[in-house]
Amino acid sequence: MKKPVKSWLVASSVASLLAVPGVSFANAEVEALTKDTKNFATWGGNYAGTRYSTLDQINFKNAKHLQPVWTFSTGMLRGHEGGPLVINDVIYIHTGYPHKVYALDQATQSVLWEYVYAPDKGTDQSQVISVMCCDVVNRGLAYGDGKLFLAQGDATLVALDAKTGKVVWKVKNGDPKTGMTATNAPLVVKDKVLTGISGGEFGVRGFLAAYNIKDGSLAWKKFSMGPDDEVGLDPASTMTWTDGKMAPVGKDSSLKTWQGDQWKIGGGTTWGWYSYDPELNLVYYGSGNPSTWNPVQRPGDNKWSMTIWARDVDTGEAKWVYQMTPHDEWDYDGINEMVLVDQEMTAKDGSKHSKLLVHFDRNGFGYTLDRVTGELLVAEKFDKAVNWATHVDMKTGRPQVNPKYSTQHGGQDVDTKGICPSAMGAKNEAPVTYSPKTKLIYIPGNHTCMNYEPFEVEYTAGQPYVGATLNIFPAKANVKTGEKESSNHMGSFTAWDPATGSIAWQVDEPFSLWSGMVSTAGDIVVYGTLEGYLKVRDAKTGEELYRFKTPSGIIGNVSTWTYNGKQYIGVLSGIGGWAGVGMAAGLEGDTEGLGAVGAYKGLSSHTKLGGVFTVFTLP
Amino acid sequence: MMTKTGLISAGFAWLLTAVAAQAAGDAFKVCADPNNPPYSDQKGGGFENKIAELFAKELDKKLVYTWFPQRMGFIRNTLKAKEPDSEEYKCDVVMGLPAGYDQAATTKPYYRSTYALVYVRKKGWDDIHSAAHLDALSPDRKAKLRIAMFDGSPATTWLLKHKLVEQGVPYQSMTADATINTAQTLEKELLAGKIDMAIVWGPMAGYLVHHNKPGTFAMIPMQSEEGVRFDFPMSMGVRIPDKARKEQLEALIDKKAADIEVLLKKYHVPLLDKDGKLLTPAEE
Repeated sequence: MKKPVKSWLVASSVASLLAVPGVSFANAEVEALTKDTKNFATWGGNYAGTRYSTLDQINFKNAKHLQPVWTFSTGMLRGHEGGPLVINDVIYIHTGYPHKVYALDQATQSVLWEYVYAPDKGTDQSQVISVMCCDVVNRGLAYGDGKLFLAQGDATLVALDAKTGKVVWKVKNGDPKTGMTATNAPLVVKDKVLTGISGGEFGVRGFLAAYNIKDGSLAWKKFSMGPDDEVGLDPASTMTWTDGKMAPVGKDSSLKTWQGDQWKIGGGTTWGWYSYDPELNLVYYGSGNPSTWNPVQRPGDNKWSMTIWARDVDTGEAKWVYQMTPHDEWDYDGINEMVLVDQEMTAKDGSKHSKLLVHFDRNGFGYTLDRVTGELLVAEKFDKAVNWATHVDMKTGRPQVNPKYSTQHGGQDVDTKGICPSAMGAKNEAPVTYSPKTKLIYIPGNHTCMNYEPFEVEYTAGQPYVGATLNIFPAKANVKTGEKESSNHMGSFTAWDPATGSIAWQVDEPFSLWSGMVSTAGDIVVYGTLEGYLKVRDAKTGEELYRFKTPSGIIGNVSTWTYNGKQYIGVLSGIGGWAGVGMAAGLEGDTEGLGAVGAYKGLSSHTKLGGVFTVFTLP
Repeated sequence: MMTKTGLISAGFAWLLTAVAAQAAGDAFKVCADPNNPPYSDQKGGGFENKIAELFAKELDKKLVYTWFPQRMGFIRNTLKAKEPDSEEYKCDVVMGLPAGYDQAATTKPYYRSTYALVYVRKKGWDDIHSAAHLDALSPDRKAKLRIAMFDGSPATTWLLKHKLVEQGVPYQSMTADATINTAQTLEKELLAGKIDMAIVWGPMAGYLVHHNKPGTFAMIPMQSEEGVRFDFPMSMGVRIPDKARKEQLEALIDKKAADIEVLLKKYHVPLLDKDGKLLTPAEE
């Protein structure tokens, strides 16, 4: 696949010309569905992942009158991530592994069909569960071409008939026996469905795969690290931010940054979210942390883990890449969503940009890039408690690491204390929302720090080695200023200006926010909390307008749509995931669940397990 | 959250016995991996199985297992998991955990081992009798060397420190396949000549020696050095509040110390005393 620039360009344009007849224009269909506000047709509400709706029936004036109008139990206890899709009046909800999918009829509030996961012959469910690090969550469904797509925990991608729930095709995207699992929300683009892979803990080499929507055959598969052809890098035409400008990545840009063959178990998994720009024909996503966890054992930048990717959807070739956290020492998994924002902005050097990509990384920096070129425009802390790096050098694009918080610098026997953010990140996987009305992004923030203590751990029976134990606790520093404070809050609702990289305003939340937000033309922002509240805030001021306690903690994403001309809001509750794994799995020790349990043990007095879908509207 | 299918694959017949034994309240309930030699397997062939048998006999209790692959989620799916609709835990004791492991209360160590370098004899490496010999290899021999490199193992840190990482062939420390065990994989790849040597945890090195004709494998225990720790004490684990059971196990560890040592030696596990001195000669 290594081609000179010219022939690569010709090849891709010929391919797209040839592809026109007979192609399923699933993207045109999905685009049309997302533009009709009666639907919520993708994980992000649209290809740009803004999670913004032009609906304004429910607005900042009347939101206080909201009421829950119907509920539906999923019958499953473990964590419920992801959110409902609403397509042509049918609501589709799903559960974690082993999955169920329900198609719900809004007229009768009853089940149209139900899909129940059945393992393939030879798939042992306890084996699959034993390789899923952080509960058995799933981030949601995708729709296109009359099919619903689900990336199942055992790394099979299944296409269901949206009318009947029957399996149309199923493809093996990875083998749980090698540590591969799936938790991502797929995305349908053109005649393809995109999906990634989880399993960084096992040294799975991450990739993004595109399957043909008609039959599930593989269109392309591109890895996060390794030889140029397998990664989909063209040494001459794939660009990256270098010395204050975009420059070609050059030959073997990934291989050169690993020692020996370590890239083969290099991590960089792709379990988050994918966005798409139809005009540029590019898909955007992030790759996760390098493997192994122990940074001492993998010298080098470990490219392209922790990287923002822009790939051509037809070929999978990377147009540009930007690595956020070279040589990760903190597990700042780079998979959070990419939001495609169309907004005029003038960069610090005076250049003008209008097609932006905004990303809030676990590492605590909010990035704005030109999504056409990949130029770095803004990289600022969206939580000022962040201390592992002083700032991002805008010329090199590299974070300036504070040696005091370098877990590697600390060495094998040193407990590095007070690193902010914790490995859970200043924001975890729950997607933000962008309102073109306020020009602000609303961030579900996670305001925690960690002690990172090397410790004898064992994964495989009776084999000790030195790994790391995490203790996670409230940051106790002001989100806006970084000054010390006594408050024990672990969450933040933050409004962010992507053009300037500054916090517009911010509201403390008691627990980390783990729920994807939605904003609307009614100038409201809606999200859930770990205690189980669905909350509505004023998009301009942050004032809380409404709250309702749902039956369990919310780690799911909020959707909004209309039915018979009336606007509804819906969310899945069901505590679990990393934040809730302690509760979901009955852990007790402070450092269990990769450090989550100690920090979140207060949760059990607020909420209990159980998946419930709740629908709200005005009376 | 074990499903019906999961139960069947874990051995349905066995579970019936488990329930019966619990009802009688006279079971020594062990959480174990069904396929992890030399530690444990479903046929009871591992040294942890043998020690469990010894303890159960001593306590005059029936030995009952809950099987689950021992890796992420093991403790939450075994030691801390309750039987459905019951206050009874699935099992009470994990036979092998590193001392101080924080998801369980660990007993005083019942053995201390170290990582060891292993290779197949008569394949051109027989002149290597210590780790230092690897350092001293001539450049052309070094260039030919293929040595297993396990994700996260102290051996990998050692390879990096000794500039041998270019010779490393990456393997997963934590096998994701419940039907394949790391020691078995290594045995296969070493015998097939896919790799020349490996530095692995003592009991696994012992497995290679024990499981093959005498003299097939060379085993050279590694010594800890600045920045690389190879020796670790191993304990048994119980639920953190379960103090009485911990004391009971510690009394048994003391009482049966001699038997345990004989057993571990039979499995060719390189053993260290509490000061870190090698107890057994480098057995091969």
